[in-house]
Amino acid sequence: MIISQESLQLLLNGLGTTILIALTAGVGSIVVGTLVTAARVSPIPILRRAAFAYAQFFINVPLLALLILAVFALPAAGIILPLVPTVIIVLTVYEAAYVAEALRSGVNTVAKGEVEAARALGLSMVQSLRYVIVPQSFRSVVQPIGNVMIALAMNTALAAVVGVLELTSRVNSVNLVHAQPILFYTSAGLVYMAIALVIGVTTGVVERKVAIVR
Amino acid sequence: MFTSVSRRSIVGIVAASAALALAGCSGGAGLPGDLPGAGADAASAAVLKDAPVASAAQILPGSTMEAIKNRGKLIVATALDAPLVSQQDPLNPENVTGMDAELAKLLATYILGEPKVQWVPSSAETREAMLANGTVDVVMSTYTITTKRAEQISFAGPYFTSGLAVAVKADNTTIGGIDDLAGKNVIVQTGSPGVTQMPEKQPSATLVPFATTPQGVQALVQGRGDAYVQDYVLLSSQAANNKDIKIVGLPFTEEPYGIGIKHDNTQFKDFINTWLKAVQDGGQWNQVWESTLGTVTDSDAPKPPAIGSVPGS
Repeated sequence: MIISQESLQLLLNGLGTTILIALTAGVGSIVVGTLVTAARVSPIPILRRAAFAYAQFFINVPLLALLILAVFALPAAGIILPLVPTVIIVLTVYEAAYVAEALRSGVNTVAKGEVEAARALGLSMVQSLRYVIVPQSFRSVVQPIGNVMIALAMNTALAAVVGVLELTSRVNSVNLVHAQPILFYTSAGLVYMAIALVIGVTTGVVERKVAIVR
Repeated sequence: MFTSVSRRSIVGIVAASAALALAGCSGGAGLPGDLPGAGADAASAAVLKDAPVASAAQILPGSTMEAIKNRGKLIVATALDAPLVSQQDPLNPENVTGMDAELAKLLATYILGEPKVQWVPSSAETREAMLANGTVDVVMSTYTITTKRAEQISFAGPYFTSGLAVAVKADNTTIGGIDDLAGKNVIVQTGSPGVTQMPEKQPSATLVPFATTPQGVQALVQGRGDAYVQDYVLLSSQAANNKDIKIVGLPFTEEPYGIGIKHDNTQFKDFINTWLKAVQDGGQWNQVWESTLGTVTDSDAPKPPAIGSVPGS
């Protein structure tokens, strides 16, 4: 046995935390990203500008910088949250910007006539977004959003730097005892690859089900 | 109300960012004048002036020593961000000071006759791989000798004994040492012995690992943990600069630091051990300690550990 039962348990705990962070931040970023896109295409100028600023900010600031700011600077401002929720929130708002950009390209695929028809039928802005624009947009950007989700899963590894005991962090500490970095980091790499494959395959299945053939 | 809170938050964030930047300076990239042990340059030069140099007969043909001599420089992996241990001068990256760094220069002098060292930043994740694939000649970076590690690489030394200690916020009166940490949140540094030692000493404590020592100190000050368990030497250099934290109790482990080399390179290991003996007998070891770690403690120079005295060395 190359690795002790205890170490294996630590690695599995870490994998659990990684999956928890990826799932919650994944769902959260799709929700927030959708709201941002809705604001981005709304007729209200201030909402449009706010959504634009949001997307630009989070796309142009490195995730690691955001994580360090959230973990070390917010407590200095009097806001202290446990580490895992902090990381989930940061990943959610960060990846939401990418979801919003992907979804916006989906909005551009919705025919202008459909939007005008919705308005002609008397649907309000919120109603046309909800029943006409957003559902169709989602169906044309399944694959791009899947890629954002894969990036999100990989980005959870950065949480190791700010004290979250996820997979990478556990590999660090197990490696400290066993001193075999190549073996452990390669294995961890394969696990991350498996997570990405699961997301990729799921995306493919969903895409085949919902894609709109034009 | 809302505006006043948010304004204060923004001021707080800006202040904290500045504080982080400063913490980064004192920990990783400060001006040499700001650091404890500054002025070590002169001391370093004095030590190197009469440092021992190996005789031609000791540089065996075909050995690692000969390869280093032919190359003209010693390649050393070390941390580069640890004040008093191995701290890189950002304005002059060639200049690395601290206990490990000065010893590395002495070793280079022993082989080459001059302190020519190429510094490679090392982390706990990469040390063994860098030795195994020959990227570096030696790892000198508060590298604790363990029997498990000795299966992958070889250790010369030990050349120094340190230990883990407990730091708490300066106003904390309930924690007096390792015995009071049961059930507490304890900050440790990723890749440090604290990660593996804490679960043995206090199984009910929850570990909160941070990547660097300044980050760990910041997290302690902000209340992310009740205590920070870290190497006594590193805590001392932080506590000397930071009035918000204090060290409680004495070191509760013995960490023998070794010089990591490629596995089973017995020739090179014997050679380094011979050099270690020479700098201990010659007084250079004491001089190095006094100009680095010795600057933040009142006690006299410790007696260097006996070479080969711990399992794995």
